[in-house]
Amino acid sequence: MRRRRLWSLLALAVALALPLLAPHAEYLLDVAFLVLLYGAMATGWNVLGGFAGQVSFGHAAFLGIGAYTAAILVAQGWPIWATALPAGALAALYSLIIGWPTFRLRGPYFSIATIGIGEATRLVALNWTSLTGGASGLTLSAAPSPATQYYAALALCCGAVGAAAWIQSSRFGYALAAIRSDTDAAETLGVDTTLAKTQALAISAFILGVAGCVYAMHYLFISPDSVFGFSTSIALVVMPIVGGLGTVLGPLLGAAVFTVLREQLEANFQNLDLLVFGVLLCAIVLFEPAGLLGIFNGLRQRWRKHS
Amino acid sequence: MDLLTTLVSALLVAGLYATMSYGLALIYGVLKIINLANAGLLMLGAYVTWWLWSAWHLDPLLAPLIVVPLFFAFGVVLEITLVRRVIDREPIVSLLLLFGLWLILQNVSYLIWTGDTRSIDTKFVDATLDIGGMRLAWPRVYVFGAGALTLWALTAFLSKTHAGRAIRAVAQDRDAAKLVGIDVGRVNAMAFGLGVALTGFGGSLLSLLFSFNPDFGRALSLKSFCIVVLGGLDSFAGVAFGALALALAEGFGLRYMPAALQNLISFVVLVVVLIVFPKGIAGLIRSIRRA
Repeated sequence: MRRRRLWSLLALAVALALPLLAPHAEYLLDVAFLVLLYGAMATGWNVLGGFAGQVSFGHAAFLGIGAYTAAILVAQGWPIWATALPAGALAALYSLIIGWPTFRLRGPYFSIATIGIGEATRLVALNWTSLTGGASGLTLSAAPSPATQYYAALALCCGAVGAAAWIQSSRFGYALAAIRSDTDAAETLGVDTTLAKTQALAISAFILGVAGCVYAMHYLFISPDSVFGFSTSIALVVMPIVGGLGTVLGPLLGAAVFTVLREQLEANFQNLDLLVFGVLLCAIVLFEPAGLLGIFNGLRQRWRKHS
Repeated sequence: MDLLTTLVSALLVAGLYATMSYGLALIYGVLKIINLANAGLLMLGAYVTWWLWSAWHLDPLLAPLIVVPLFFAFGVVLEITLVRRVIDREPIVSLLLLFGLWLILQNVSYLIWTGDTRSIDTKFVDATLDIGGMRLAWPRVYVFGAGALTLWALTAFLSKTHAGRAIRAVAQDRDAAKLVGIDVGRVNAMAFGLGVALTGFGGSLLSLLFSFNPDFGRALSLKSFCIVVLGGLDSFAGVAFGALALALAEGFGLRYMPAALQNLISFVVLVVVLIVFPKGIAGLIRSIRRA
């Protein structure tokens, strides 16, 4: 345990010092930013999909609501950093409205309904032109410096991973784990499963909403097809599963692999990244449900046995 | 007159919706898994038809003769190599596996056929039929006929043939089917193959009506899920009924809302039905009859 804390502090120190160590390596900082942003998003998805076992194919909706909230408030004269909290809060509020009907559905039915939610939210954003600017999207004027953006993503990611670590070892986390393995049994044991699932969804949506604010700060342009797009929802499912479903660090690992792979492949072969991820997803579901983190842990154990 | 037009066009659309949903219902009924790769298979059916037409000058109306056996074989191979491994695990595992398969199909198609929008353009595709002042597009009428014929053929196959009865037995009770000596593994492979073949057939028919790219099928698949849930997930007559209900809801909904929001209707219907009648309309009727 102490050793683990030491490692996390070391990782944090390296992460904090990265912009100072590499003041001119803009590409490196950009990739690191994306890893942190996507890592936070994947961690947020994992709170519901991994810990509680409720796989959502529509989580882009919350990212989009956060991003649009930030962009609209900035247009009203708010500083971008002040929009983070409203962005998260509005996404969480939206998740409550959605959670009420959809959590009556179980397992695969819930997952199918979330495809509909993602699509419905995108359609509303696309057609509510007076608020969202429709298909032409919204543009933000000034970008904070790359280092500021990087630190914002770092803070977001630390917050998300910290929340996930806390949830996993809390009473609430045990309730979610019980729901994941057997909802009826959890109910019998006295867990209010609908309440626990709704709370997990709200936390998950809050993290994605704040991530939407950081997203808007970086890209400066948001449109229904970028933030609400189905490809965003796909990425949110794939990253945690490839990394390690229901673990604290798995989603971050998955996000790192996803981002680096995409950066490498996208320039040369369009769509090859998603193909690779489809194959990875199938392989992991079939052979190693614990994901890359599981493979890593297995290797470490084997190595320890030998030495 | 206006009302009649809406009704007739809803009926034609219902035939189309039913055709693209039978495969999903068959696979759910027998294997109890939701085929999330449905959208990818619809898209593939459309592309194979297009490819046969553009490269080999095969009439798209004859394409199902090749598409159906090809997709049947593909489905059997998929069941034996992939689906079989996860069938006894939690439902979410098979859902994720088939989701991964969808990603693979979609992105392989991007590599082969690029993201350009394709469409099939023959004399037949543009032909219209005049009935009492109403102009109906021939392909729509044809697709409706094909959907109705498929329903008839499926029902006959499932009730008259030995293989069909074995499929129904496994759908009703897997363990009891095993006890009477049915090879459940073989039935699963056959049902999955048949389901994939039906979806491919649906995709082939859709290519006559719509232009498509590798992302084709996502919105339509959502409609299929809605229809299959409406119909109670395992009965074909229920699927046909669900298709009609959705087509009517869309047809009349569009009179009061902008066309851009058409896809919202299926989602709203899906959520409302899932919440109000978890067993679908067919289940509701069954429970009323019993009472």
